[in-house]
Amino acid sequence: MLDKEKCSEKTDEELVGLTIRDQDFFACLVDRYSEKLTRYVMRISASTREDAEDLLQEIFVKAYRNLNGFDQSLKFSSWIYRIAHNQVISQWRKLKSRPQVVKFEADEDFLKFIANDEDLALDTERKFEGEEVRKLLNTMDEKYREVLVLKFLEGKDYKEISDILQKPLGTVATLINRAKKQLKKIIEDKNVQF
Amino acid sequence: MPNLSDKILQKIKEEKIVPKPRWQFFLKDYFVWFLFLISLILGALAFCAMLNAFYTNDWDIYRYLHTSLVGHILISLPYLWIVFLAFFIWIAYQNFKYTKSGYRHETFFVVGLSVVGSFMLGALLHTLGAGAMIEESVATSVPFYEKIACCSARKDIWSQPEKGLLAGEIKSIMDDDGFELEDFKGSVWQVEKAEKMLIPGGFLIVAGRRVKIIGEKRGEMRFWAREVRSWGKSER
Repeated sequence: MLDKEKCSEKTDEELVGLTIRDQDFFACLVDRYSEKLTRYVMRISASTREDAEDLLQEIFVKAYRNLNGFDQSLKFSSWIYRIAHNQVISQWRKLKSRPQVVKFEADEDFLKFIANDEDLALDTERKFEGEEVRKLLNTMDEKYREVLVLKFLEGKDYKEISDILQKPLGTVATLINRAKKQLKKIIEDKNVQF
Repeated sequence: MPNLSDKILQKIKEEKIVPKPRWQFFLKDYFVWFLFLISLILGALAFCAMLNAFYTNDWDIYRYLHTSLVGHILISLPYLWIVFLAFFIWIAYQNFKYTKSGYRHETFFVVGLSVVGSFMLGALLHTLGAGAMIEESVATSVPFYEKIACCSARKDIWSQPEKGLLAGEIKSIMDDDGFELEDFKGSVWQVEKAEKMLIPGGFLIVAGRRVKIIGEKRGEMRFWAREVRSWGKSER
């Protein structure tokens, strides 16, 4: 068995190289990303933790199969998030009946972002809290919710989001702007009282 | 998350999953680039045929067809080649998007790159004479091409002696003033040359050559020729 301490000082990219020679090193990459990806999958697919973990196995196995195709011009994190994103999409396709409105359980981080967003607060002259925001987010388009998740919860920059979603930088910026506008509009239309 | 990495490693070992070999990824990348280049080249060929159709079209005969210049331009546009060009640009765009970093570029950049690539390569091929060869081979192998490509090789348009347009094969040279011409319906015409008859391209009027004539019908099977043009694009 591999001593996982050995991995701690290695970069993701070094671990990819090591995994190709010795598959046990893959455990280090899995450990490094499993929690982050579970949260990400739950955030974009509205799945339960158990479903997300099942999907996560498929994501990591797919990543392992495609290790030799890892594009060194990308960050490993962007690459594995991309696989997760694609896997969630293909899962939806498999189920065929992609739900029109996905129940989105906004977590505390997301709520904090919404509550603290200056643009939103200024525009609506109010502060936001938990349950109402959850309801609002449930009415957002999935594509907008996903960029908000990547930008504000996963802390990805525009380049990383572009690499994950495989969209040009300009499109990413537009999506983020539209996502925020849509959220503001939903707030205004519903005349939400906090 | 406890044990997930162990579970995954166990699955990998049990199912003997191995990373796909590197060459498969290279092959896929090169294949997509290859398809992109092929689409670009086919787009360029369509563009050079389009240029040829444009340059060799008889733009001035609208006067004899009782139509306006705009109307004539509209029926003369090489629609077939425009459709082909658009199609191959679209295919090139689709392929470029599937290259490793294709997604990073905006649509207008990729389409612009495909258009500029096809245009530049097409213009180069046109100067090398590829356009005429393509059009000629398509005209001979695709029966309906003549019907949709207006107007330099349209037999129906050039078989209107009442409107001043006549075409066919020179059967014999009578004297310095005229020759005999068999039109595409098999009728033989006595063609009288104008005093200062124009021959664009300066080819020789000899028996066996196919020509189109602009002039005037003067009596039964008699035609006065003000200008004689070569019929086929490769017969110039």
